[in-house]
Amino acid sequence: MDDDLPTDFQVIVVGTGMVESIVAAACSRIGKNVLHLDSSDHYGGLWASYNFDGLQKFIKEVNSDPKRQLQVYNLSEKWYIEKDSPQEEKKEEGDENKTDDSKSQPSKKVWSQASFAAEYRKFNIDMTPKLLFSRGPLVELLISSNIARYAEFRCVTRVLTWLDNRLMPVPCSRADVFATEAVSIVEKRMLMKMLTSIVGYNEEEMNNEFKGWNDKTFKEYLEHKGLTPNLIHYVLFAIAGGTNKMPCLEGVKECKKFLMSLGRYGNTPFLWPMYGSGELPQCFCRLCAVFGGVYCLNRPIDKVGTKTVDEGKTVVTIDSKSKTLNCDHLVIGINECPKEMISPEPVESCDISKAVFITNGSIMASEKEPLTLLRFPPLTDEDNTVTVLEVGPATGSCPKGLFVVYFITKKVKDAETDLKPYAERIFDMSGGDQTATSEKPKCLWSVMYNVRDTSACTRSTVDSVHVCSGPDASLDFDRAVSQAEQIFKQICPGEEFLPRAPDPEEIVFEEEVPRGPEFRSDDADAEHNE
Amino acid sequence: MHGRVKVRTSEEEKARKEKERQEKLKIFKNVMQKIQFKRNEGELDQELLELTGNVLTSNPDIYTLWNIRREIIIIYKKDVKMKENMSKLYDSELQLTEYCLKINPKSYGSWHQREWVLTMRPDPDWKTELSLCNKYLKLDERNFHTWDYRRFVINQCQPALKEEFDFTTEKLFDNFSNYSAWHYRSKMLVKLYPDVEGGRPIEDSHHKHELKMVQSAAFTDPDDTSAWFYQRWLLGAVKNSVDLVVSSVTTSKSFLTFSQYVSKEFVKSKVQIFINKTLVTPDWSSCTGNHYDKLWLFKHNVSIEAGMDIKVEFDKENGQKQIVSCVPAETLTYVGKGNINFQKYYSEPVLKELKDQLESCRQLLAMEPDNKWTLLTTTIFLNCIDAKLYHNEVIDNLKTLQSIDKLRTGYYEDLKTRWCIENQLYRDYESNDLVYRVSFDDKITCLPHLQYYSHCEKVDLTNQNLTTKVLPSLILLQNCKVGDKGVRQARCECRSFVLCLHPYSRLPVFALYDTLCSLLICDLLTNFAFFTDFECDYDLVL
Repeated sequence: MDDDLPTDFQVIVVGTGMVESIVAAACSRIGKNVLHLDSSDHYGGLWASYNFDGLQKFIKEVNSDPKRQLQVYNLSEKWYIEKDSPQEEKKEEGDENKTDDSKSQPSKKVWSQASFAAEYRKFNIDMTPKLLFSRGPLVELLISSNIARYAEFRCVTRVLTWLDNRLMPVPCSRADVFATEAVSIVEKRMLMKMLTSIVGYNEEEMNNEFKGWNDKTFKEYLEHKGLTPNLIHYVLFAIAGGTNKMPCLEGVKECKKFLMSLGRYGNTPFLWPMYGSGELPQCFCRLCAVFGGVYCLNRPIDKVGTKTVDEGKTVVTIDSKSKTLNCDHLVIGINECPKEMISPEPVESCDISKAVFITNGSIMASEKEPLTLLRFPPLTDEDNTVTVLEVGPATGSCPKGLFVVYFITKKVKDAETDLKPYAERIFDMSGGDQTATSEKPKCLWSVMYNVRDTSACTRSTVDSVHVCSGPDASLDFDRAVSQAEQIFKQICPGEEFLPRAPDPEEIVFEEEVPRGPEFRSDDADAEHNE
Repeated sequence: MHGRVKVRTSEEEKARKEKERQEKLKIFKNVMQKIQFKRNEGELDQELLELTGNVLTSNPDIYTLWNIRREIIIIYKKDVKMKENMSKLYDSELQLTEYCLKINPKSYGSWHQREWVLTMRPDPDWKTELSLCNKYLKLDERNFHTWDYRRFVINQCQPALKEEFDFTTEKLFDNFSNYSAWHYRSKMLVKLYPDVEGGRPIEDSHHKHELKMVQSAAFTDPDDTSAWFYQRWLLGAVKNSVDLVVSSVTTSKSFLTFSQYVSKEFVKSKVQIFINKTLVTPDWSSCTGNHYDKLWLFKHNVSIEAGMDIKVEFDKENGQKQIVSCVPAETLTYVGKGNINFQKYYSEPVLKELKDQLESCRQLLAMEPDNKWTLLTTTIFLNCIDAKLYHNEVIDNLKTLQSIDKLRTGYYEDLKTRWCIENQLYRDYESNDLVYRVSFDDKITCLPHLQYYSHCEKVDLTNQNLTTKVLPSLILLQNCKVGDKGVRQARCECRSFVLCLHPYSRLPVFALYDTLCSLLICDLLTNFAFFTDFECDYDLVL
């Protein structure tokens, strides 16, 4: 295929994952000439969000293409509902009524596979669902770079944990601690004292307080502080997101991170991107494009090489669709990168078990639509903690009446064995009558899969080729942000990382073009707009 | 360079802003002049409305302009031709205030104007106003302007109080650091759940619930004072009845004292005095000349002799009649006393809640012995539950508080004085002596409950830590007389009195000597109400 794509760029980025997109934006922002490619027809790679149709395509692709199974494996999809709904007609009406409030409508909608397909565009299902800490590096970066204007967020409304065989809200903010009836008055004081002291310690106080705690666990520290078992559960599992084995200093660090992000936007420390985490790489791509970056999706690359030009400079060459592209720096997602270019240093990695469930109700009823982070402590000694995110229609993730629930943990055996016991605790997975009232929401559909962990920083064998990691199992984007900044610093040493992009009114145009006549809308125009 | 966007530098931006500002200022001055001119000329018309409106939209805090608008609206209201347009005019005025509130949600002028418009117009829509309050309290739950306005709206539209009460609950759960919400809640409580039977302000179960709720807040964040203040209100939310404290009749002067400030009308209607079984109709006057007072002097024309039968009858609030017999404490000095009780009365369930809370406080105290708020609350609980029983612990706690909370030592001193005096008063009140002498080791810093000692002839306040601020209250010591040579003088030996009085001051002038020197009353005192009765044959001891 012949195209008019220029062939020489300062930076070529291959893959539109989070790290790649941030680097692309940062390079373009300071004036580098950037080409950004992706082999597939959508943005995000493994960081993407899919509508229900796109997701089906993805599942088919993974199951049929052995090459994709290098990244994603053990994938199993399961329906818990009928193919077709018996009252197809009636459902449409029900849908109309639903626009007000799902609570005002007592009878639950009966979903079928067909009704999922009919509303496929209302789904935005994330491959890498992640939250943002309100004062975490990504939020700060979005604000400082002015990229935040391309995104919308919702506050996570509650943090839950699994305690005494049931779901319990975790009192994490001052308002929560005040309102909760789950802990005694004395416990309230203990908890608040613990939390405020962790936030308040300066470096010297930290060193004093934690002298000698280096090789002890966080749990031991909390016990030492006299916290009751309930409080230890809240702090250790829900706030620090740890396990019994979590080292003390790591626990303190995680707590601090959680607590520092409280009180900025909502009652919890977390934000969730509207329409899913897959929006975020696209926001960075947009900034890249605004500053002149060239985009080309559906553009696989065939070969990566290097050549030395006259001045002894090394240029990276890429063969793509019978065209050779040249650049000074290549930024490439680890899954796109030719194996021989990846430095063979061994990296410690632990694959990820993931699951997505679609249910017909929230795991815990609440007055307004909740957006939930649930942190499961390990149910057995072997297991790791399981992070659960439940998002509803208000986030643009699914049609009204449904919830999308993500499960993430470090792989022990395989996704299904690792996660099903947890899912069974909070969902009714028996299929059956959807209208029946039950304590747990019905699971309507699920997919479980393992993802290869490619999140460790990997170096390439060539100086001007920079390899970007894939998604990790953690809750936030912090690693992606710091890796992107590192790569940018290697490409553009001494340059500012994503300085604030100006708003349109701050921009001066070269020639002050005299203003044209006022725009007048006439009937023809109005019709045209319709 | 290709792809680079040119942005204004900060100097350019600054210059541009400065230029804009100057232009704005010019326009502003111009318009303000025009407004003044038009008003001086009496041109209160549509144009003036527009001019003031324009300025207010950029600066809603110019009262003058709001007032000019009111003048115009009042004129229009009287104008028959405008009758049909008035509703529209009010609407647009409301719109203007709403716009201004968007700019400054704490603009006094805008809120007041809105209130004024709604009281002017015949068809106010209170529902809209209430939702406006909700909106602004969602934006800032502590905006007291909005709370204030809400009280105005509620007063007009009278919605279900329960809803308002629940609204405060909601706001407090969002953020309990909110004086306005706690205050509003207290007002709702008293109206919603009054204790009809027990004659107490709040019904038991709710009193208990509130105590629980506020303790939860206080323990969550002890450094937030709003919760403590509400708790103090709850603990003090017991009805205090007026008691007749002391009746004193001597040859030269007769008076009654009460536990609280009362008016002459009150005294006249509630008190009957019988001397030798004959009702006297005395002439009442307060000791300070104020309308409300604790000590009321009465003049009668019976000459006081030995062996008289003097009785005072007092109609109490609960409908009972208190009869106080005055008995001779000395020849020709009759003194009558009632019962005293400084212990607050709580119902059984509330008392049980207080005891539970005391227990949690003690637990906490074991963990954090130096936490000032916990210690203070423990102390207040102890005093509320049984002041006599816990007296020593209370005093010890106050001493500890003084050492850990140095900024408030004075406050703790005064509390200590008050509670020690209360403790001592039980005994003093029983005795027939006419002596007031501090009988505990700690030095007093103020003179609480002084009216209980108004009958005493000998008052020994030597070697205490009193300051001049107690001087005005000494007027309650109407019978005080100590001194040689038969000279009547209040002898108040004080330590470290601060002398800071100006010769032309209306306050008495005192001479200050060293620590054990006596304080004497100078001639200027004759001008002072307290001492008019004294024969100021003072002797100045140097």
